[in-house]
Amino acid sequence: MSPNGGTFTQAQRAEHEMLKELVWLSPIGALTLAAAGAVLLAIVLPHRRQALVAWWVGAMHLAAAGLAAYVWLDRGFRLTMSGTIAVDGLSLVFTALVGVVGAVCVALLRPAVAGTDREGELYAMLAFASLAAVVLGAAADAALLALALAALGLATFVMTGYRRASPTAGEASIKYYIFGTVSGAAMVYGLSWWFGLGGSTSFAVIGRALPHAPAVAVIASTTLVLVGLGYKAALVPFHFWTPDAYDGAPLPVAAYLSVVPKLAGLIALARVMMLALPHNTVGWPTAIAVIAAATMTLGNLAAVAQRNVVRLLAYSSIAQSGYLLMGVAALGHSHLGLAALVYYALAYAATNLAAFAVVQAVQRERGSADLDAFRGLGRSHPWWTAALVLSFLSLLGLPPLSGFFGKLEVFKAAIGAGQAWLAVIAILNTVVSLYPYLRVIAPAILDPPDPASLPARRSAPLSLALVVATTATVGFGLLAEPLVNLADHARMLTGG
Amino acid sequence: MPWLSLSIAVPLLAALLCALLPACARGAPRLLALGATAVSLACLAVTWARFDTGRGMQLVEHAAWIPTLGVSWRVGVDGMSLALASLTVVLFAVSIVYGVGPRPLSRAAAGMLLLLEGSTLAFFLAEDFVVFYVAFDLTLVAMYFLIALWGEENRRYAAIKFFLYTLVGSLPVLLGIIALYLDSSPHTFDMIRLAREHPLAGDGLSASLVFLAFFVGFAIKTPLVPFHTWLPAAHVEAPTSGSVLLAGVLLKMGAYGLIRVNLQMLPGAFHRYALAVALLGLVSALYGALLALAQSDLKRLIAYTSINHMGYVVIGVAAAAATGISGRARNLAIDGAVLQMIAHGLVTGTLFFVAGFIKERAHTRDLRQLSGLLRAMPWYGSLTALAFFASLGLPGLAQFPAELEIFLGTFDVYPAIASVAVVGIVLTAALFLRALQQAFMGELPERLARLPDLRRREVMAVAPLVALFVALGLYPRLVLYVIDSAHWLAGGL
Repeated sequence: MSPNGGTFTQAQRAEHEMLKELVWLSPIGALTLAAAGAVLLAIVLPHRRQALVAWWVGAMHLAAAGLAAYVWLDRGFRLTMSGTIAVDGLSLVFTALVGVVGAVCVALLRPAVAGTDREGELYAMLAFASLAAVVLGAAADAALLALALAALGLATFVMTGYRRASPTAGEASIKYYIFGTVSGAAMVYGLSWWFGLGGSTSFAVIGRALPHAPAVAVIASTTLVLVGLGYKAALVPFHFWTPDAYDGAPLPVAAYLSVVPKLAGLIALARVMMLALPHNTVGWPTAIAVIAAATMTLGNLAAVAQRNVVRLLAYSSIAQSGYLLMGVAALGHSHLGLAALVYYALAYAATNLAAFAVVQAVQRERGSADLDAFRGLGRSHPWWTAALVLSFLSLLGLPPLSGFFGKLEVFKAAIGAGQAWLAVIAILNTVVSLYPYLRVIAPAILDPPDPASLPARRSAPLSLALVVATTATVGFGLLAEPLVNLADHARMLTGG
Repeated sequence: MPWLSLSIAVPLLAALLCALLPACARGAPRLLALGATAVSLACLAVTWARFDTGRGMQLVEHAAWIPTLGVSWRVGVDGMSLALASLTVVLFAVSIVYGVGPRPLSRAAAGMLLLLEGSTLAFFLAEDFVVFYVAFDLTLVAMYFLIALWGEENRRYAAIKFFLYTLVGSLPVLLGIIALYLDSSPHTFDMIRLAREHPLAGDGLSASLVFLAFFVGFAIKTPLVPFHTWLPAAHVEAPTSGSVLLAGVLLKMGAYGLIRVNLQMLPGAFHRYALAVALLGLVSALYGALLALAQSDLKRLIAYTSINHMGYVVIGVAAAAATGISGRARNLAIDGAVLQMIAHGLVTGTLFFVAGFIKERAHTRDLRQLSGLLRAMPWYGSLTALAFFASLGLPGLAQFPAELEIFLGTFDVYPAIASVAVVGIVLTAALFLRALQQAFMGELPERLARLPDLRRREVMAVAPLVALFVALGLYPRLVLYVIDSAHWLAGGL
């Protein structure tokens, strides 16, 4: 692939090609700039000016999203960097999503960490994480995949342990780190098998070799690769870190973790499976479907017992991974699977951010995210309560909210792919999930407010983020057409 | 003018508007709700005028919604839709007049009533499966809050039970919808096309499974024994207007779905299982009546008679399914079933008001603690007697022609079932007469002597219902000429 050993003109041509490709890589460039600039700014700026770092990182995230849209509309899709980075519909949609979600999370972070030491570095870490996530979602090469996964792990590990004084944060980040390193190592080991079987790190080349390789070797190595990506996406049985990490991390970091690394893992999984294991080699769709069923079932059942809303949302996000995975499981059968995965990802991002933003607002004012903190919220904060009800009902999948159309799409994909049993399990899960979601909503509306009234604590960035996420939760459903259409066109490049 | 869409959109927009009303405008939510309902009523009146009784599905309004998914906003009417939509608006109008929760109607209560009204109308008028499902689930949310916020003592428990049961019912319906979509070619959510083309017609097992998915969902909603246990809790704990709407309108959604989807789209599968469905209907009719017989709480008693009356509807639908594509018996049974839905909505609506009125005055609904009420409140007593007679199927009142048609239609196909079902009528007659004797005849105790008779607001709430069920009893063609299933049951446009 690389032009080593070629003549001078060959090298010149390759350089020229790479320069031309920079346009396609501009969203990644923007995020790189965001991260590097943030590190510099955090060092240079005085303590009380660290908000500028937040502005910088947020603006560059939005710029990355804008550039992704530009590339899609103006340049089209392309395999870049000698076929290692796929700039296609799937990765561009994900880049835009990371851009917007990153900016929203910065807005959520600012009120949570303003004035703490090393505030600027946290924003820088978030930018690094976004960069790694975007690369992970676009990686068409095993080496790049391993690199992105490790970088994403490091950045999010630092973010999780931000509150150094808190013992739960320490436990959370250590747990997250150890799980992450071990599963990442397992994945690299699995990828090395693939390299041995295919003779290349390119997934497209590997995909031509694996269908003819010994099944045992393929199954064993694929399992190892699944460990690494399944950990990122919080799939059962690699989900143990999730509730502790979400609980120990600053709440906006948990919101970020529940969306960006999770979706990056799922999108990388979709790409790896489609490229490296074409034609449903070794029956991977069934294996993924079984994991999907286990993930949603365990997530929802565990959510039932939670009394802390952050932990409840952690288990809920595990369950949502299961629904998302239904799209991956249907990939091999028809185009419906990918469209369902992309639309569900967008709907889930909006909905989950809205839910986390409400919980953060409540926690800021009442000092707790326990179920009791939500009692009587409807009287004191009708708009927060509206956002709470809308986002939780969207997580449940009630129409006409975006979560419903997400479920409609994944159910359709599953039944269309001959996995009606999975759709039935998903439906049983939806019934189970009514309890945890309603357990938060019902006391907020039906209970009388707490007599010890607290002074309202408002924060402009938090309110803005809440409005944006809630509007998207409703708007993606009522006005679903542009998004559904986008998801329908978010194809994956499979050529070598 | 898109009259049908307008009749749905106006209540929904008014519901949004309710959230934005200033808190100081105390009478405004009630006026807004009444105004929006009046607009809906006017839209439907125009539709009655434009309706061509000689044709099936008509006046279809269509707009793109999510074209990539094949989802569009599509509403239209046939005889059944129009009749049920009209019943819906009438019952909402009287419920808003009577009110929910503290008076005057609060913004939240008005908003919930309007949301429920708009989504119920959308359900009965929808001709796109996704709109149909969206409306089905929205009614669930709105009703949950109506019960949980303004219900009686055990409202929380009843509300969650209602939510859970209906959700369990609605999700298989979603699976069934997707299965029908995937089996149509080209894929479509268009209910008119699906009713004409009968996808899955050739496939035995899939058709049976899809039939079962829809059937479970609609059976819970109707409700059929053994899926009925949510009903007494929800009806008893709901506020008076909530019970009126629950029994009057929301139960009809189940039977409507059974006809619209199971019968019209999956006639082959329904034909296979018609006897089983008819037997379930029979069990519901009898068991509901027996349970009602054992109640001493008036509201609970009425709730159980609903199971009995909806059982007749299901028997009629099953009989129609058993007869095959056409035939007089088939149309007779379906006409009767739809008329029974309308009649039951009007009569049971009145009955739940009656139960609410006495609870408000005597602070009890226990028939054993009431006596001689006819003497204390002659108007109230007469109203109750009239509603009781209507409910037990007295000739001259609305449920008589409906039940007669159902029995006549069923007798052709399942003579044994029709004969046994008549026992249910005897049982309901017995229980209503006994209740009348217990609470309204006999000695008037001192503590009940000074109860006030019907108030103006109460008269305004029940008068339209009474007028309609008397009119329908004397002249059922008033609605039957619109229902006329011969023109739409086969699925033609």
